[in-house]
Amino acid sequence: MRLTKTMRWTALAACTALAISACSTGGDKKSSSEASGAGSDKKGGSISVELGEPQHGLVPQNTSESEGAEVLNAIFAGLVDYDIKDNSPKLRVAESIESQDATTWTIKLKDGYTFHNGEKVTAQSFVDAWNYGANQDNAQEALPFFDKILGSDELAPGKDKKPTADKLKGLAVVDDKTFTVTLKAPFSQFKTMLGYNAFFPLPKAFFTDPKAFEDAPIGNGAFQIDGKWEHNKQIKVKRFENFPASDGKAKLDSVTFKIYDKLDTAYNDLRADNIQITDKLPISAMATVAQEFGDRYIYKPDSGVGYLGFPISTNPAFASPDLRKAISMAIDRESITKTIFSGTRKPADDFINPIIPGYRQGALGDAAKYDPAKAKALFAQAGGLPGNTLEIGYNADGGHKEWIEAVGNQLKANLGIEVTFKPFEKFGAILTALGEHKYSGAFRMAWSMDYPSIENYLRPIFSKVAIDNGSNYGGYVNEEFEALLSKADAAKTDAEGIKLYQQADDILVKDLPYIPVYTYMSSAAYTKTVKNVNVNAQGQMDLANVELA
Amino acid sequence: MGRYVVRRIIQAIPVILGATFLIYALVFLLPGDPITALAGEKRQDPAVVAVLRDRYHLDDPFFIQYWDYLVGLFKGDFGEDYRGNEVVDVMKTAFPYTINLAVTALVIEMVVGVTAGVIAALRRGKFIDNVVLISTLMVISIPVFVIGFVLQLVLGVKLNTDYGIDFFPVSFNEDAGFRSYLLPAYVLASTSLAYIARLTRTSLIEVMRADYVRTAVAKGLSPLRVVVRHGLRNALIPIVTFLGMDLGGLMGGAVITEGIFNIPGVGHQLFQSVYLRERTIVVGIVSALVLVYLFANLVVDLLYAVLDPRIRYE
Repeated sequence: MRLTKTMRWTALAACTALAISACSTGGDKKSSSEASGAGSDKKGGSISVELGEPQHGLVPQNTSESEGAEVLNAIFAGLVDYDIKDNSPKLRVAESIESQDATTWTIKLKDGYTFHNGEKVTAQSFVDAWNYGANQDNAQEALPFFDKILGSDELAPGKDKKPTADKLKGLAVVDDKTFTVTLKAPFSQFKTMLGYNAFFPLPKAFFTDPKAFEDAPIGNGAFQIDGKWEHNKQIKVKRFENFPASDGKAKLDSVTFKIYDKLDTAYNDLRADNIQITDKLPISAMATVAQEFGDRYIYKPDSGVGYLGFPISTNPAFASPDLRKAISMAIDRESITKTIFSGTRKPADDFINPIIPGYRQGALGDAAKYDPAKAKALFAQAGGLPGNTLEIGYNADGGHKEWIEAVGNQLKANLGIEVTFKPFEKFGAILTALGEHKYSGAFRMAWSMDYPSIENYLRPIFSKVAIDNGSNYGGYVNEEFEALLSKADAAKTDAEGIKLYQQADDILVKDLPYIPVYTYMSSAAYTKTVKNVNVNAQGQMDLANVELA
Repeated sequence: MGRYVVRRIIQAIPVILGATFLIYALVFLLPGDPITALAGEKRQDPAVVAVLRDRYHLDDPFFIQYWDYLVGLFKGDFGEDYRGNEVVDVMKTAFPYTINLAVTALVIEMVVGVTAGVIAALRRGKFIDNVVLISTLMVISIPVFVIGFVLQLVLGVKLNTDYGIDFFPVSFNEDAGFRSYLLPAYVLASTSLAYIARLTRTSLIEVMRADYVRTAVAKGLSPLRVVVRHGLRNALIPIVTFLGMDLGGLMGGAVITEGIFNIPGVGHQLFQSVYLRERTIVVGIVSALVLVYLFANLVVDLLYAVLDPRIRYE
């Protein structure tokens, strides 16, 4: 049948009317949108920055990942802080941190620091926090960090055992502003360690209601929480007015950590000036970000090191250091960092990250020099691999497939071996498989520092204690290395300590338990509306100094 | 009719039970340990792992864990996740976003889809009909995330940076209120919208050929009345069925859209929870989604009788 013209028009009109009325319900709250973002006419002002959803409640002793740490660093002030340029420790809440023998340390506090609820920051605030973190019944992630303090074994006797004490023997409060820490053994780097968030103080209010604290922490930093952590959405902080001026009050009135699931979305929001700073950029942005943001794009070395690891203790095929050296020499680091990572990584030439005091350029020597001919000869001389095959495991969740396969192809071509790959679903899955000795192939591994000390690149990854308690997944043991670490720990001065740690590093260079392949670069970008943006070695924003432009 | 509704509701109980069991078992069987997932990239101290495993009864056999979960459920306790958050609270915060998004999407589907379908049907073979057919075919064949990213870039970023028009927020923004939902809802609705337009078109063309429409026209009824009362009303039955099924799909299928536009809703939460092996959250959300599905289907079945009085329930 045919419709008349009027009929068609009325139908169309009716439909259009429907569509328009449906749309008009959408315009309700239009005006309020202008409120967000930066209001540059105001002194102080507010900005939004990118964040990923933190893994845990915001308790310093239970946070070991970067997202939670980013927030904690804004709302807490530690005993020491790290220089943004050279990463040396400088005193913050501490007036002095001294020791004659590197075993007993006396820590004096400055005046003027209070928690956001008005409670004074005292020696007790630190001691209580550390006792809490060191007790395994509290299941805090930072537990291993208290391992060096005398009495930690009683609070953390290990799996399936009950703590026999609830206070660390090594901690003693002298007066409101002084406390002493006694370690089990000398540790020259102790002061450096104290800037890590596990050593932040806790107010009394935490112990009365830890659960409430997790979403609305009370810190002693330049910013205080504003409201509560709105999960998967945002965490708002505002300037803490009673923060000591000597430490530098926050310049902004408030900062909103906007929580993103996808870096691509955050980057689009940055381009539209909906957020003002991001300290993580998506891979898709790497090609154009420098051009788009110019000098508002920050690109600098970061504390991470990427390795190729070997389960030396469980797989005898990898026992020979020469074999590992041959593999190392057969890897073209330069081409991998350039082509696969488009310059977002740098070839590694030491076990120590370049930003750390004590790093020596070219310390790896021959092992890091790409020389296929020598590599092949050395590989044959060392006896090769059984079946002439090598398996490399990697976690599929972190964008490692490409570079691992590139390394595999280089080894295939340069050593004449068969290389197979084993993807693990997540990084945790590799760690578990290695920890339980269920995987015996080579593997991809990485390390990022907890505190900027040369020691942090040695003991947690390659020492005997780290097999059970740390990240020594290769099961590497060398008594000489252990002895040098202990000697360095007992050093009287920093310079002496660094020299001894470097000697320990030399042993790793000889043994090559892991092959350092590249070091990481961190990238951040910010909009025209802000200035004084800085990112530290852990890739975290220095928010207290940010100002509106 | 009352008895029919009661029977349908009683039928829902075994469906819910079966669904929770299946989901629980599936998440249980996934490789990977939730406690390791908790630590992210770092290794947990073995003592800490032991304490946490004990706290969440992770070393109990599967059936004991499931039984404990069910018992809790009957007491109205959905349990807590491995970070100590109440699952009920997590669901309470996530669901409103997804409901807003899904309902907006449904309205867009209905209004735009049906309108386009009706226009195409009434102008069958004409230019506008071809426009509808070709554009819907395109939308159906482009993956949702491509549509999402392109619209986000063009309407969210470019419109703002190049022309200063800040109407569509790039990502979800509470302050922007309802506007925040428009773009994501459109992306979420796009595929279904195209199907509905095509379904409406075909269905209406079919109905307009029927005897009762010819009679209505012969009676001298106004053309609008003929199309709406006699044509569309009968053509709507398959469309309502589709919409009912789609509501559940929209809520569950929001994973991609919520990810792109950073909406802290159920899809987003579900994705994270599966990744982190947060069993209790996954089961809780999926069960709630099953409920939504069942309810939507019930409503659809009841709507049939409204549209076509010949359909009766007992």
